[in-house]
Amino acid sequence: MSSQTLVDLLRGGVVTLKIACGAWVVSAVLGLALAVLQDLGIAPVRAVQSSLVIGLRSVPQLVLLYLLYFGLGAVGIQVNSILAAILALGIADAAFSAEYYRAGFMTVPRTQREAGFSLGLSPVGVMMRVVVPQTIPFVVPPLLNSFVGLLKTATLAAAVGAPEILYRGQNAMSRTGQLVLVMTVIIVLYVAATMPLTRAVAVLERRVRSHAHG
Amino acid sequence: MREVISWVAILAGGLIVTIKLSAFTTLFTIAFSSLLSLCAISPWRPLRFLAVLYNDLMRSIPLLALLIFFYYGLGRLTAPLGISAFWLAVAALVLNESAYLAEVYRGTLLSVPATQWEAAASLGLGWASTVRLVILPQVFVAGVPSTLNNTIGIIKNSSLASLVAVNEVTLTATILVSETFQPMQVYLVLAVLYLALIVPIGLVSRRLERLLGAGIGIGDLHEPAEPRLAALPEA
Repeated sequence: MSSQTLVDLLRGGVVTLKIACGAWVVSAVLGLALAVLQDLGIAPVRAVQSSLVIGLRSVPQLVLLYLLYFGLGAVGIQVNSILAAILALGIADAAFSAEYYRAGFMTVPRTQREAGFSLGLSPVGVMMRVVVPQTIPFVVPPLLNSFVGLLKTATLAAAVGAPEILYRGQNAMSRTGQLVLVMTVIIVLYVAATMPLTRAVAVLERRVRSHAHG
Repeated sequence: MREVISWVAILAGGLIVTIKLSAFTTLFTIAFSSLLSLCAISPWRPLRFLAVLYNDLMRSIPLLALLIFFYYGLGRLTAPLGISAFWLAVAALVLNESAYLAEVYRGTLLSVPATQWEAAASLGLGWASTVRLVILPQVFVAGVPSTLNNTIGIIKNSSLASLVAVNEVTLTATILVSETFQPMQVYLVLAVLYLALIVPIGLVSRRLERLLGAGIGIGDLHEPAEPRLAALPEA
């Protein structure tokens, strides 16, 4: 493999990383918003929220991506392929992040909320100043796991022509014909990026759990 | 409205392929991940090591990369044998999804208290008979919800097969878009079709989860309800 091809793949890797990071931020923020909305428990909001979560969980990310990229494009809102991937993958993942936050909220004793209310905080104030800060240790491991997942799903962006690693890989394959070599490089890069991260998250998870029980 | 109905009629053909693709993948995934999870808890160290290595490796490879590799790489070798893109996609999906489901099954197997293993050993049962007669009957029901969740993941991920020339519903929709130039509407109809396929499975799975959690079957043998840290398989 020429060094040119390798550099090209690495550049693709940077784009993949960009998509995954962007989608992760979208997912973490939107997921928090969804979970807080649900927690506040205003009936109509809750109904909309839960159908949104079900919808996002049931539609393939690829279809969401097509809707954002081709769908919005056809009604006059041009989104570039990288941004479309960030939004589609982030929004789809938010449905799962919301669950992590919600599970985290349940670890906060009710008395904490009552104490917050007795200090005169509003429901939103109690959430943002009392409940959410205490949930952070519990949501960090699953959110990191979802980052690892996003690193992999970021390859979907190839379907709309974003120059990420798999897209460049496919081009390199048809250019050089070195299919096995290119694929091996991609796989090695992926294993090198995700395996240590997965291991680290597992360790972190165990620590958080033992800390919570101890 | 009439337009939408004609689209649905066209998409139905692709939907059947999606269902077939997902059904075959689910069946083979259940078989392969059962085997993998048993290997992962086997008393024989090399087998355990291989199973864990397989799971870790497979879970760090993007599914789309695997599909593309199978289609462009293996495809050249298997085409003369009459193996279609459909079966290549099934193979890639099974190999990938099994790694995730095997991890879930492994957790379920490990949730059986050690005393059960000890009791079986004290009755003179070997490893294989212990698994078959004591362990598996206890985890069988408990594994159903996670298997259904995995099936949901498989249906969603089967959409990636559209990128390697399997004429399932997403590819059918993409072709329809190239004829109608109405991506928003067509892909929305496609999303609704996926919802119709997946939401019922999700409802059954959640219902079962709750039933099992309520102590019917062996729900009470499991760890107390905790945040579902193991995410559903990503694409």
